[in-house]
Amino acid sequence: MTEAEIEDKCITLAEAAKMVNDGDGLFWGGFGYQRAPIAFAHELVRQKKRNLTVYTCGSEVDLEIMAGAGVATRFEIAFSAIEALGLSNNIRRRVSEGKLEVEDYTNLAMAMRFLGGALNVPFMPIRSMMGTDMVNLTRYRGDDKLKVIDCPFTGDKICLVPSLQPDYSIVHVQRVDKLGNAQIDGIVGEDLEGARCGKKLIILAEELIDTAEIKTRPDQTKIPAMYVDHVVILPYVAHPMMCHDYYDYDLEHLMTFHQMTRTEEGWQEYLDNFILGVDDHYGYLNLVGWENLHKLRATKPWGY
Amino acid sequence: MVEYTKIEFLIACASSHVKDGEMVFGGTGMPLLAALLAKETHAPKSNLISEAGFIDARPREVPLSVADTRYYYGCSASIGLIETLGFLLQAGRIDVGFLGAAQIDEYGNLNTSYIGPYDAPKVKLPGSGGGNDIASSAKRLIIMMSHDKRKFLTKLDYMTSPGFLDGPGAREKWSLVGGGPEIVITDMCQMDFDPDTKKIRLKSVHPGFTVQDIQDNVMFNLIIPEDVPTTEEPTQEQIDIMHKLDPNGIYLGKGG
Repeated sequence: MTEAEIEDKCITLAEAAKMVNDGDGLFWGGFGYQRAPIAFAHELVRQKKRNLTVYTCGSEVDLEIMAGAGVATRFEIAFSAIEALGLSNNIRRRVSEGKLEVEDYTNLAMAMRFLGGALNVPFMPIRSMMGTDMVNLTRYRGDDKLKVIDCPFTGDKICLVPSLQPDYSIVHVQRVDKLGNAQIDGIVGEDLEGARCGKKLIILAEELIDTAEIKTRPDQTKIPAMYVDHVVILPYVAHPMMCHDYYDYDLEHLMTFHQMTRTEEGWQEYLDNFILGVDDHYGYLNLVGWENLHKLRATKPWGY
Repeated sequence: MVEYTKIEFLIACASSHVKDGEMVFGGTGMPLLAALLAKETHAPKSNLISEAGFIDARPREVPLSVADTRYYYGCSASIGLIETLGFLLQAGRIDVGFLGAAQIDEYGNLNTSYIGPYDAPKVKLPGSGGGNDIASSAKRLIIMMSHDKRKFLTKLDYMTSPGFLDGPGAREKWSLVGGGPEIVITDMCQMDFDPDTKKIRLKSVHPGFTVQDIQDNVMFNLIIPEDVPTTEEPTQEQIDIMHKLDPNGIYLGKGG
């Protein structure tokens, strides 16, 4: 029996971020506090990317970083805040300054736009948003934000949202093999559709495992290798957010982050210290401190 | 007499609107504690769902985020967003959803997006998240808000989520799946909606407040029925259970 030569998709974080061009659109994975690709946001900032458009349902610290540092100038999202702590201060400021445009959708609408892109159809019908300002008011997408039509079959009103096929999908998972078979534990949020809608898919994973291990639990492979272009292996990709079964959120860091972003000066200090002041993700983790990181490691069977 | 904080009062009050066997979108914060309290008391067969993908949840510690792993332990299924907001909610399978808002109008429409004009907003708020999806498609909505006159308006700065839109027949015109708001719970009163006009109406006043207090603190004409009872107070049992659910006072507060 011949064994196919195994392709190794692993590259560094810096190499992965370098592929993103100014002006590109990114599907951004993770949901709320869970599996946020924070390390990738940091690297986009260090590489001084500009004019990115970010597509996601609800993200928090990562959107704050990209808005605050001027990496992203357009968001098509449903939600941004730091849940339980308060408003997204950087986003609030950048919107008021006119430096960030947010095209508002709902969580289901964004998930359906990713599903439409993944299915390679131009739009998806949904039953949300109708009758509200989410239909009436638009920013840069204008009339292409959505359409409300009479259903050609039933005659009832229905809302159509345009599908998305962004330049890159950025998705953070727990485990991957070097072929790109990616396993997610816990909830998937909108990452199944999101991973499959981008023109290229970059997977960030906490742990590299052998293909033989993937095959012992194929039901956990939520994104098979054929969708995956590049793989980046790093620990604590989501810090200060959480990664199910691997580590908890860092509430102290999160509160410091939220507190510092209350003023532009505070945010600039955070940016200079934690993002621009380090060479790479390991530099950031060294700054946070391995003793602190170790305390965040998940306890079985709770997963946090 | 049972002593209670404002937060405990609101949670107990909200919890009373969840019925046994219902499918409930809980979120985080006070709504989550209200849904959990209902499950521990009068509604043991209710099914708590988080839009991130957790189904039939019974967390041992309160989650900070709808996607918090604290939601995972004890749930029956852990799936994703198309499952919860699509297959469950949009398909009409969710009985009750909880929402908060920065502004509400007399038809129960909600703003969670912008304060100030859309073109030059003073404050960018969190946005819809799943809020508009829930308001569009859940059979009933329970709205929880802090009572501030500037939040109860005739004209919202931005309408994020549908209540009864512009009145009778409007939800039907837009083919919305759900039934719209049932109740608004504030720190002063409970309000429901007149079935004929779909306009907001005073339902009960919390202990310590008068009907006049409520009228002074809304910027629209509130329908006042002849008989306005006092809202029921929480029991000691309810308060004890709340503190078992949130022993560290994440949402109840340390002093609670």
